[in-house]
Amino acid sequence: MVNPNKMTLKNEKKIKRPLKQRIKDEWKKNALVYIILVPILAHFLVFQVIPFIYSFILTFLNYRIIGVSEFVGLRNWKQLFSDDIAWKSIWNTLLFSFYYIVPTMALGLILALVIKSGIRFTKLIKGIFFLPVVTSFVVVAGIWEWLFSGTESGFINYLLSFFGVDTQLFLSDSTQALIVLAGLSIFKVSGSTMIYYFAGLQSIPKEMYEAAKIDGASPFKSFWMITFPLLKPIHFYVLIITTIGSFQIFDSAYLLTNGGPNFSTSTIVYYLYTIGFTNLNFSYAAVLSYVLFAIILIISLIQKKYFGDDQNIY
Amino acid sequence: MKKKSKWLMILMIAFSLILAACSDKTSSDPGKDKGEDKVDGEITVWVHPYTSDAKKEEAMWKEIIANYNKEFADVKVNIETIPWANRDQKVLTALAANNGPDVFYAIPDQMPQYADVGMLLELDKYLDDADLEGFVESSLVSTTWKDKKYGLPILQEAYTFFYNVDVVKAIGEDPANLPKTWEEFEAWAAKAKEKDFYALAYSGGGSMNGTIYPWIWQAGGGVVSEDNKVLINNADSVKAFEIVNKMYQNKYIPEDSITSTNQNELWFGGKIMAVLGSGIDVTMLKKEGKFEFAIAEPLKNKEQLTYGTTGMFVVPSNTDNPDAAAEFVKAITNAENQRIFNTVTQYIPTQEEAKDIFNSNEHMKQLSGYTQYALPGVIHPKGRAIMPFIQAEIQSMMSGEKTPKEAADAAAKKIEAELAKP
Repeated sequence: MVNPNKMTLKNEKKIKRPLKQRIKDEWKKNALVYIILVPILAHFLVFQVIPFIYSFILTFLNYRIIGVSEFVGLRNWKQLFSDDIAWKSIWNTLLFSFYYIVPTMALGLILALVIKSGIRFTKLIKGIFFLPVVTSFVVVAGIWEWLFSGTESGFINYLLSFFGVDTQLFLSDSTQALIVLAGLSIFKVSGSTMIYYFAGLQSIPKEMYEAAKIDGASPFKSFWMITFPLLKPIHFYVLIITTIGSFQIFDSAYLLTNGGPNFSTSTIVYYLYTIGFTNLNFSYAAVLSYVLFAIILIISLIQKKYFGDDQNIY
Repeated sequence: MKKKSKWLMILMIAFSLILAACSDKTSSDPGKDKGEDKVDGEITVWVHPYTSDAKKEEAMWKEIIANYNKEFADVKVNIETIPWANRDQKVLTALAANNGPDVFYAIPDQMPQYADVGMLLELDKYLDDADLEGFVESSLVSTTWKDKKYGLPILQEAYTFFYNVDVVKAIGEDPANLPKTWEEFEAWAAKAKEKDFYALAYSGGGSMNGTIYPWIWQAGGGVVSEDNKVLINNADSVKAFEIVNKMYQNKYIPEDSITSTNQNELWFGGKIMAVLGSGIDVTMLKKEGKFEFAIAEPLKNKEQLTYGTTGMFVVPSNTDNPDAAAEFVKAITNAENQRIFNTVTQYIPTQEEAKDIFNSNEHMKQLSGYTQYALPGVIHPKGRAIMPFIQAEIQSMMSGEKTPKEAADAAAKKIEAELAKP
């Protein structure tokens, strides 16, 4: 956009119009834009910017909910380095992402391909696949807990018994619990990744498949050579949101395992929640939230650098 | 066009002003004269839905407020019912914003934690000995921190074993003669296992108050004392670790006990002989009506003790109207109002004389006799912070990674580290 004010400034360098005048002109021109922006910016300021800055200040304080907080310098940050559980929680979060991101993307893509394939009752099937997304997490988690109950009478254990598999502890086993939680998140989220992929599939021109068909490409080959690469912007988008989602995982640990057994499902958000709201140590919780922020920022930058280059493929 | 945008702007500004006005609550509160003797003004009381019947509770609060206003007619009391979920956050954020209640409901875990950082008002200057006379002694344990009173109890619970009478009969025992000691219970548990029942429900993912703490107290041990002495790995406490481990390894308690938060399905399915239950279980069992149940007195090993929470009302130190708030706490916990409150909510009154509300309810009457044995948990500002460590160690003991002694020692170490933190 060309700014006429700028041009006048250039031409008449010496006669700089008074600030008041300039503001007035700008106001006259773009009043509506500012008016519309005010509530949004105010909201952004109050609920994002101020908490962001204030929580950073918190990390240097011994924060008291009532009364005067004292300045403690870097004490809270130092505590991070000797806190095994914090590191374990970060590690669990990484593991969780490993269990969660690729399966969610793959399942979403497969479901999208199923509904795109033109089988009968597409709408109904789409609805069924999407159902977990719109169901309350608490309800889905409750069902999951029931399915993966670690006793003989648990549903999955009952099924496994037909194959001669011993009763599994699932949520009570420190090696399995995190995987079960990841499974819950995959089940809950893949419906929405399906919708993103479905939208992406719709926008791939039909002619490409026709051309491939004429060239004698098998469906499998045309998937790998056309569909998969052309979905790149969707892959990128889904990758980013599932990654961020996986780092913010909290509810399933909160609802199903309370971080146990032996902290094996304590994720960073769950841990900072307990530090903040159970131990009332908001300053240290703020430190942890900055760690989380740093991790998400770095990963997003890496992803942008390596996967996000040519997202303007269309 | 120009005119139109001007109107739009005015509309926007008006809208944002309305929004801003909505958020400020205290400004409408007229200033309180703190020095004066006259108790007046307005107080806000945060309560929770104690039952599922909101209408009944509303009527109950009206009655209680009316009783309070008989003496303090000039105080306007606003009752706000806050959902249980995330109540801690709600209270804390409201108090931090200086926008919180003048009286709120607290549980024993919170009280010392809040009191220790100066969030609660000391009530001693409002209380004389006569005010405290009628209370059950064990109920005042949880309202006292470092010899000062920070609240008054309104309700108490006592957790004790509820037995499924069908299972008791199936293992060839007498429901009228329930186990009284650890040995007797273990003998029954072994028999139950033989007949393919679980002996006890155990929610290892839940609060330690409902799992290992009662065993620790019964063994004569402790967790941590008020003066920061760690007791969890002394010889007595380790016995509790041992019995929990034994029950798990022998499958007296279900396999998922390491992290499960409830085993209701197994219990109501008639697969478990006993649960650690309280008043709410009486209600639930009667409602379900699936089997007959019998309530035993708390087990005794070295001591006869159990867990039982205490519900209390406290006053935050930043209240605008401390006099009216403190008087309200006194009023709501007097015998008359406790009768009203506990009749509706079916909790056990903390005023001895108010227990007469259960004269016609056999089960509740029996339970209300056990509150004298009920400890309210670990009364310590870090009581809640140390719980996850103890839980984690017990979990690794149950999964066979540590012996009971090792788990107790490791828990003690972690507790010491937590206590050393500022």
